[in-house]
Parts: sequence; structure tokens; C-alpha cells
Amino acid sequence: MSPQAFAALFSFLLVVVVMGFLLVATYNSVVTLGQQASKAWANIDVSLKQRHDELPNLVEAVKDLMTYEQATLTRVTQLRAAYSSAEPIPAQAATSAATSSAVRQLFAVVERYPDIKSQANVLDLQREIQRLEEIIADRRELYNDTVYRFNTRISQFPSNMLAGLFGWTARPFFSAPGELATPAVRLTE
Amino acid sequence: MSDAAAILISGSIAGIGGGLWLLVRGFGGYRRAGRLDDTGTSRIATLAVGEVRVTGRVEPAELALTSPLQSRRCVYFRSQVRQQQGRSMQTVLDEKRAVGFRVRDDSGAIRVFPRGAIWDAPAVFKEGDGFSGDRPPGLALRSGSAIGPGTLDREDLIAQLLTVRPSLGGSDLGTMGSSRVGIISGTGRGRSEYEEARIEVGDTVTIIGTALPFDQLPDPDGADLAEGSAVGGPLAAMGDPEIAADLDAAGTLAANPEEAWGNASIPGFGIGEPVRAPHLNPEASPESVADHDTAERFTRTFAIAPGELVLAIGQGRPMLVSLGAPSVAVARGQDQFLVGLLGAVVAIGSAVMLAIAISGTIGP
Repeated sequence: MSPQAFAALFSFLLVVVVMGFLLVATYNSVVTLGQQASKAWANIDVSLKQRHDELPNLVEAVKDLMTYEQATLTRVTQLRAAYSSAEPIPAQAATSAATSSAVRQLFAVVERYPDIKSQANVLDLQREIQRLEEIIADRRELYNDTVYRFNTRISQFPSNMLAGLFGWTARPFFSAPGELATPAVRLTE
Repeated sequence: MSDAAAILISGSIAGIGGGLWLLVRGFGGYRRAGRLDDTGTSRIATLAVGEVRVTGRVEPAELALTSPLQSRRCVYFRSQVRQQQGRSMQTVLDEKRAVGFRVRDDSGAIRVFPRGAIWDAPAVFKEGDGFSGDRPPGLALRSGSAIGPGTLDREDLIAQLLTVRPSLGGSDLGTMGSSRVGIISGTGRGRSEYEEARIEVGDTVTIIGTALPFDQLPDPDGADLAEGSAVGGPLAAMGDPEIAADLDAAGTLAANPEEAWGNASIPGFGIGEPVRAPHLNPEASPESVADHDTAERFTRTFAIAPGELVLAIGQGRPMLVSLGAPSVAVARGQDQFLVGLLGAVVAIGSAVMLAIAISGTIGP
């Protein structure tokens, strides 16, 4: 082989190595992001189930003493019953947001009943549910961040060329329909 | 072959080698940047078990290090001193050390066990002696132990402030805490080049590691497990209560940490402030027991609840500790990849030059 042919072959191989590396790295990156999103969703699911299991205990602990607040308790119970891990992610997000809102309302009502508020088991349950609410909020943020990265990556070059080949499609965010819409602001009367 | 052709050939070969080295280094930077970029940041207070990325400020745990070249309190350093000896440069100091630490974000803190971690910290001190042999500004060779207590109280800080450090220009500088550092400061030495990378207490770091409860930390045997030794060794057996009971009955297991490790199990022992009196050889220098407040602080510092989440290396996925916020660490890796691509261009150019030098012509 002549020196010129050797130089040409070396240059060609080097370009192939760089291109191959970029292709493999891109594929691995998208697969990793997909796995991260699945894991982040599984972590949210665990927290939602934990909250689902804790809510009846709280309702049970306060229901006899809150005779005049049955509507609030019924709403929490109904929303708890509406939760299903088999639902699509946006539907679960809507149920979760409504449950969080109902739980916040229940906590506000409990504040009006000093007898209930001071009970140790109610306080413990309240703390535990608040802790779970924080965990759900944080994990939702992480999940949405990961999904955002995944969706952006598969729509960028060169991943978009591989997306059709490997069947990568955009994943849904954990947000209720319309939740991310910008609220209308009226600056004038 | 003429001298010019010989120089061209050796230069081309060096160009190919250097370019390929830069390319391989760039691939490493790209993979590191990709790993950082593909993981979202978790808040420490609500971490889930498994691989996570956390970002926060470094806080010392039980111990902190002192860097050899600039005497800065840190949790990791990599220091190198190269000295001119004759016509070549010789490495007279090449030291790399790390200790466990905590990372704190706005939600809380987590203990990090960085054994086996990959450290991504650029050099923060890279200087050489002046032409007249004068030391570079900023050089402050370590004058004591490399390891000190993690938290410094008022007395420690006063003592540190009042410690007289030897002048760096003299010939009788002693060992500087290490015989190798002593070589740096000796007389008759050639020109030296100093390089130090470190992660200091208070620095922002981004870590990708595995969050797991402390009692599931495979330590100390687990460090070997993660580094590739056989899975299912003695540590795996420990997970089985029946096997653990058998080992206990056979006398293989110690009943408690005191029996297993002796004085080393006493918090604060070895750094001059044991929380209770150690059993010492009568001929050894006595070690005074720490006062009540210090003892409480040390007990609290060393005690980690079994269920508490800690960060460590995962099986098959080494921990990555990068200096700076995620965007900074990712940009550093991407820059390294761009330099690597430049290296590939240099290697191709050098190959063409080599072909010209050997054949004496561009065409076939």
C-alpha cells in the first residue's frame, strides 16, 4: 500500500470512528433518557399509591368529629376512589391535582376544630400526607424535566433520524389538561 | 533521508499520536457530558432510591483534606509537581486523595461515599517557577497532616491562624508533611511546574450516584464488589439472617463495633478528640477525651441512621463527581469533545504530511 493510500484509509477510518461514536452515543443517550423517564414515573406512581393508602386513615380519624363538614370529606373520598394507576398519565395528573386541592381544603377545615387538630394521630397523619404531597410535587418536577429532555432529544438531529427507525415517540407530561395554559391577565377594569 | 524529512516524519507521527489522544479524551468528555445531561436534578429531601443527580454545596463530614500545593481545605485533590532534572522533566509529586463528604441543597443534605468515583475537576492552580527560580504566587505548600477534622471550632481556627508557616525560599524547609514535598523545596533543584485540581469545602458540585439506605451500603466489602469482584461474596451472605447467625455462632462475626475495630470504633479517635477513653498501651501518649459539647458533636457527625439515604457508587455505574453546576460541568465535557474533534483533524493532517514526507510527493 502506498503512503498516500494509507493516509486516505487512515483519514476515512477516523471519520467513520467519529461518526460511529456519535451514532452510538446518541442512541444510548435517548435510551437512557427513556429509562430515566420510566423510572421517574414509577417513583411518582409509588408516592400516589402511598397517598391513596393514607387518605382513608385521615378521613376515618376526623369524620365523626366533623359532622358539619361532610361535603369536604366526601370530596376527598370520591377523588381517592377516582384514582387508578391504569389511567393515562394526563388523567392521573388531573385526579392527583384535584386530590391535592381537596386535601389542602380538608387541612384548612381541620384548623377550625382545635379538638381534632390537637389529636396526636391526626397530627401524624397530616404530617405524613403533607410529606407525601411534597414528594409528589418534587417527583412530578423531575419527571416533567426528564420527559422534556427526552422529547427535545428525539426531535433534534441526529436523533430524529433514529426516532422513526426505533419507534421513539414523545411522552406525555404529568400535568392535567389545560394546567400549563397561561392564565388570562386583565390589567384594566 | 534528509534532516528536514526526518523532522517532518517524527513531527507527523507525534501529530498523529497527539491527535488520537485528544480524540479519545474528547470521547470521554462527551460521554461524561451526556451522562450529566441525560439525568434531571433531584432535590435531596425527596430523593428516591436508585441512580440520581444532585447538585449542591460541599460540606465536610468527619474529615477534610488539606491540599499539598495551596494548603486549601478540600474533599478531593489531585496534585502534581514536575521538576527539571537535566534536560528532562521528572514527576516528583503525584498525589490524589479523597474523603467522604456531604452535599447540601436548599432542601437538605446527604452523605456521599465517593469510593471508586470518577472526579471531574479542572486544575485550579497551574503555575511554574519564574526564570530566576522564584516561586509562583499562590504556592503555599502544606505544612502538616493531609487530614484534619471536618469541622473547625474557634480554637482550631485560632491555632490555624497563629501557625507560623516556613518561608518558601529557604533550603531547610523540612518535610512539609511529606518527604516528596520536601524534594520540591530542596536546594539545587531545577525549575518546577505545579498543577493542582481540587474540590473545596463550599464548592458547588454535581454528582451522579446511587442513592441507597446506609445499612445497604456495600462498605467496606462492597467497594470491591462495585469495582468488579465477584458478586455474592461474604457481603451477600450477610443479607441472609440464617447465614449471619451461622457466622456469628462460628465466631466469624464480632458482636459489636468495639470488638471488631477496637479504638477505631470510637468517634473522634485518631484525630485527637475521642468521645470516650480509648484503651491504649501504657507506653503510648495518652489521648485526652473530648469535652461534652465536642463529644456530642462528634457522635452526631459519625452516627448515620441505618435507614438514612446516602450516595455511593452503583453496581456497574461509577459515581461521577463534577465541579460546578450541571450546565458548567456539561459545557466542560462538550468543550473537551470539540478539542477532541480538533485532535482528529490534526491526526488526519499529520497522516497526510507523513505520506508526503515518505513518498516525497502529494499524488500517487
